[in-house]
Amino acid sequence: MDLVPHIVNGLSLGLLFALIALGFMLIVGVMEVINLAHGSLFALGAYVAMVIINPAFADFGGIYAAYVGLPLPMRYVLAIVVAPALVAVVGMGLEVCMRRTYGKDPLYGLLLTFGAALVLEETIRLIWGPTEQVLTVPQGISGAFLFGGLIYSKYRFFAAAFALLAILLVWLFLERTPYGAVIKAGAHDSEMVRALGINLTRLRLLVFALGTALAALAGIIMTPIWGLRPHVGVDAVVPAFLIIVLGGVGSFWGAVIAGVLVGLAVGLTGSFASQWSLLSMYLLLIAVVTFRARGLFGKKSVLEL
Amino acid sequence: MAKKEDFKVSRRQLLLGSAATAGATVFGPWKHNRVYAQATDKPILLGITSDASGQFANSGASDRRGMAMAIAEFNEKGGVLGRQVETVHIDTETSPATGTRVAERFITRNEVSFLIGAVSSGVANAISQVAQKHGVVYLNTNSSSPTESGENCHRVKFVWDGNGSNFAQAAVRNAITAFGDQWLLLTNDYVWGHNTSKATRELAEAAGASIIDEILVPQGTRDFSSILLQVQQAGPKVVAAAVGGDDQKAMRQQVAQLELGNGIAWINNQQDWPDVYGLPLDNLFGVFGTTWYWNLDLPGVQDFVARYQAMFPDTRMRVPGNVFYNGYMATRELLSAVERAGTTNNIAVIKELENIKVSANDRMQHHDAFMNPNTHQMQQTIYLATANAGTENSDDMFKILSSSAPDDVADPNAEAACKMESYEDTPTYET
Repeated sequence: MDLVPHIVNGLSLGLLFALIALGFMLIVGVMEVINLAHGSLFALGAYVAMVIINPAFADFGGIYAAYVGLPLPMRYVLAIVVAPALVAVVGMGLEVCMRRTYGKDPLYGLLLTFGAALVLEETIRLIWGPTEQVLTVPQGISGAFLFGGLIYSKYRFFAAAFALLAILLVWLFLERTPYGAVIKAGAHDSEMVRALGINLTRLRLLVFALGTALAALAGIIMTPIWGLRPHVGVDAVVPAFLIIVLGGVGSFWGAVIAGVLVGLAVGLTGSFASQWSLLSMYLLLIAVVTFRARGLFGKKSVLEL
Repeated sequence: MAKKEDFKVSRRQLLLGSAATAGATVFGPWKHNRVYAQATDKPILLGITSDASGQFANSGASDRRGMAMAIAEFNEKGGVLGRQVETVHIDTETSPATGTRVAERFITRNEVSFLIGAVSSGVANAISQVAQKHGVVYLNTNSSSPTESGENCHRVKFVWDGNGSNFAQAAVRNAITAFGDQWLLLTNDYVWGHNTSKATRELAEAAGASIIDEILVPQGTRDFSSILLQVQQAGPKVVAAAVGGDDQKAMRQQVAQLELGNGIAWINNQQDWPDVYGLPLDNLFGVFGTTWYWNLDLPGVQDFVARYQAMFPDTRMRVPGNVFYNGYMATRELLSAVERAGTTNNIAVIKELENIKVSANDRMQHHDAFMNPNTHQMQQTIYLATANAGTENSDDMFKILSSSAPDDVADPNAEAACKMESYEDTPTYET
C-alpha cells in the first residue's frame, strides 16, 4: 500500500481537528471554563451559514430575488464572515450567564454550558427540523480531482488550507496585537491583569466571543464533509476536548500539534486497521498523559516536582 | 428544641390517623385507577420504545408518526374491543441500556399492553429480552439485522422490516452479472453491520464473486477519507456497504464529493427515507433496498399519502417513507390481531400475529405478505431502487428498479438460527 496518500490525508484531517479545537482551547486557556456548548455552537454556525447561503424568506420589494441572484461564492464568503459574528453574539450572551459561576466550583460552569448545549441543540431542531440538511459550497471547491491514480476531494484540500489560514490568523492576532497580548496575560495571571487596570469582564466577553466565533467557523468548514444535522456538534466536542488535553491546556501550538497528531493517528490507523481508527486518538491520549500529565505543551504545575 | 412530650401521640389521634390512612388507601387518588382497571373500557396502552435522540432520532420520529396514524384510524372507528388505544413514549436514546430500562419501566410501572418501536437492532434486542421475561408482545418495527429474526428471535417479538439478508438476496446476483465479481465489503462495526455483511458475503461467494477485502467502519465514524482511499487502492468492481445511521450520511456525503459513486458500483443496504429525504440526488449513489415507496403505482398508495399529509400537515417530510410505513403497518396488524383474538392476552395475540397473511392490496406492495411463524419476521416484497435522476419533483427521489417476491428473498439461515421459546415457557400477560 502506498503510504503517501494516507499521510497527506492524515495531515489534512489533523488541520481540521486543530481548527475544531481552537475556540475550545482559547476559552479553556483564558477562562478555565470547559465550554460543553462548543459543539452546539459549531452546529449553530453551520445552520446560520446555510441560511445566509440559501435563505428562504418572503420577497419584499425584490430584495430576496436580488440577494439569491448574487453568485454563490459571494454568498459563501458572506456566510463565512457573518455567521461566526452572529454566533459570537450568542456566545457573549452565554458568557453573561456564566458570570455567576466565576470563582465557584467549576462544576457550575460545566453544568451551565451543558445545559446551554442542550438548549441550543433543541432550538436548532425546532427551527430547522431534525432532518439532514446540506450546506452548499461553491462549484470551484466541490467535486474531485485525480492525482497519482487516486481521486481526491477538492473541498477537503480547501478545508485543510482554510484551517491552516485560520490557525495562522488566530496566532497573529494573539501574538501581534495588543488585544492578543491582554488575552495571553489573562490566561497567565488574570488577577495581575485586573490589577493593571484592564477590564477583566470585557476581556472575558471578548474571549468568549472569539472562541464561539471560531467554533462556528469550524462548523461551517466541517459540515460539508460530516453532513449537517442538529446533533452534529457532539462529533466535534469530544475530539476538541481530547486535543486540548493532549496538547496541554492553554497552549496554542500544543492544540495545533495535538490536532495534527490526532489526525495522523486516525488517518493512518484507518488505513491499516480501520476498526481501531476512532480508538487510536484515545490510545494516543492515554500514552501521552501517562508519561506527561500536563499534555505535550502544558504549563508545569506548581504541584509538580 | 422541642420537648419529648410534644411528640406524644394520644390514643384518639392514633385512631383518627389510622382511619384517615385506611380511607385514603381505599378512596384516595388510587381509586380511579383501580376502578379503571376493572372496567371494560380501560384503554389499551401501547408502550412506544422509540429513539428520540442519538443517531436514529429522526427515524424514530417517523416510526412514531406511523404508529400514531394507525392508532388514530382505530380510535375513530371506536377503538379496539371497545377500548380506546393510548400510548406512552420514552426516548430509548439509540442505546441498548436505555432500551432495557424503558421496557422494564413500561411493563412494571405503566402496565402497558404491548411494546412497540425500534430502529437500532441493538436496542431492539435489549428490549425484546425484557419483553420475553415478562411475556409482553413486542413489535420491532424498523430494525433490520438478520439476527432479530434469527439467533435473537423471541416468542413475543415480531419483526416488520426487511432484513440485511433479504436486501442482499435481492441485489447480489444481479449486481455480479451487471458490474463484476470483485467485491469489497464495508461493514459498520456492530451487530447489524456484521450480520448484514456476513449475509452478503455468503450470497456473493455462492454466486461466484470474490470478496477482495472487508473494511470495518467503527460506529461514530465521521471522516471516511482513509477508508475511501483504501477502497480506491483495492480497486473493487462492487462495494457492498452495510453502514447505517449518521455514519452512512457522512459516508454518502464524502463519496459524493469524491464522485466515487460513478466509478464503482455501490450496493447499499436499505436506505431509510428519513435519512435521505431532502438530500441532493448525487448523495443517493448506487443501488439500494427499500420495502416501500410513496410513489409506487399501486392501489391505495396515493390515498395513504393523502392521509399522511392530512394528519401531519406541518412535518417537513411531505411524503411518508419506509420507516413510517413499517410503524403504521405493524401497529395496524397488532390492533387487528387483538380484535380477532377478542382479548389482549399475550398468547392469544401471538397466535393471531403468527398467522397473519396480508394481500398485496392491503400492504400496498407488489406481492402478498405473510408472517413466518418460525422466525416472526414479516415476509414481504423487497424493492431495489436508485436515485431518480432528472426528476422535477424533489420528493420523488427514488427510481424503483425491481420488486422481489418474499419467497425469492427469504433469509435462508433464519429458521435454523431461531430457537424460539415455547408458549409454555412464555409468561402469560394481559392488561
